[in-house]
Amino acid sequence: MNIFAEIEKILAELLDLEDSDITPDTYLIKDLGAESIDLLELAVAINNRFKIPVKDDDIFLGCFRHYMSEAEQQMADTVPYIAEKYPFLTKDRIKEIAARTVEGPQLKIRDLVDYVTYQLERARHAGNDDS
Amino acid sequence: MKGTFTGKRALILGGSCELALTLAQSMIEASLYPILTYRSDRGLQAISESMLPFAGRFESHYLNFGERETLDTLFTDIAEDLDVLIDFVNDDYESLVASADEDMTCRYFTENVSFRAWILKRAGRAMLKKRKGRLIYISSTAAERPNPGQGFYAAAKRASEALYLNMGLEMAGRGITVAILRPGYVNAGRGAAYIRRKGKAVLDKVPTNRAITREQIAHTILFLLSDGGDGINGTVVTMDGGLTSGK
Repeated sequence: MNIFAEIEKILAELLDLEDSDITPDTYLIKDLGAESIDLLELAVAINNRFKIPVKDDDIFLGCFRHYMSEAEQQMADTVPYIAEKYPFLTKDRIKEIAARTVEGPQLKIRDLVDYVTYQLERARHAGNDDS
Repeated sequence: MKGTFTGKRALILGGSCELALTLAQSMIEASLYPILTYRSDRGLQAISESMLPFAGRFESHYLNFGERETLDTLFTDIAEDLDVLIDFVNDDYESLVASADEDMTCRYFTENVSFRAWILKRAGRAMLKKRKGRLIYISSTAAERPNPGQGFYAAAKRASEALYLNMGLEMAGRGITVAILRPGYVNAGRGAAYIRRKGKAVLDKVPTNRAITREQIAHTILFLLSDGGDGINGTVVTMDGGLTSGK
């Protein structure tokens, strides 16, 4: 299954995008103008399409800045601290987001793809464990 | 009551109370499909007895606001397919604020406010798939004018109202709307017992000198659910015979 293509299809429908120029590096909020109600619909649609649990705060990195500040208060290293909270993000991606949070929401389509991939993988492992 | 209704499947929380059962029967007559929840054997028995003539035209499911997992089971059992939610659940914790037990306070708000937020999340997401939904919360005039000892009840009602109203604000653009009904003295269930206990003095406070009947409540809810009542969103409808309009 091409997860990116499926998410692109969902976004085109939800956000009424005609000639979609979406790439994995497209910003969901900055480029596509998604609002909070759109994100809610997207979470429901992803849950429906891929049959995976979707936690809105996780998939949309809703607490990223909060976790950064928690790490700082606890004098912990930011990247491993956030990696524990968002295990679907690579360390490089966490560094990239952390460096640019002041510029506004950093959520990219690739983050959604990574979340879905991670959850599908977890579901597959859970299925294997059951058998 | 004649009216047109866009959706048919109506989840009624607190489905074993007299008001819910009266409403469920009116709904069936209006070709809606009530899904009643109960939280005790006694509740199930009340539903079974009252709804006996309507077999096959409604469902009943267990839901306990004190057991979070029952919410998952309920939504799985109804296949997350609902058009309407009507919330009658009405727990009471009567205590002066300065007398209240701390553990009871936590439990009361978890069951009567937090649990309601979890329900709204599930219902809102289910309705979002259809881009259509209607939610009615049955509150109370006690939310606005509590008596001494009703602080917790009033706080839970106001907090729950706020959650519902915000749903109406946030999701109306996706076809999901909300109305709150605040009945005053009602001649059913706990209200009827209160009126009996306090006597005529209670109804003397109501400008119409009458309690609201369960049929009136059912009729009003059906109107709010109908396509004609659809414009009433994110607001409170008070139905108390004028009780709270004067001093």
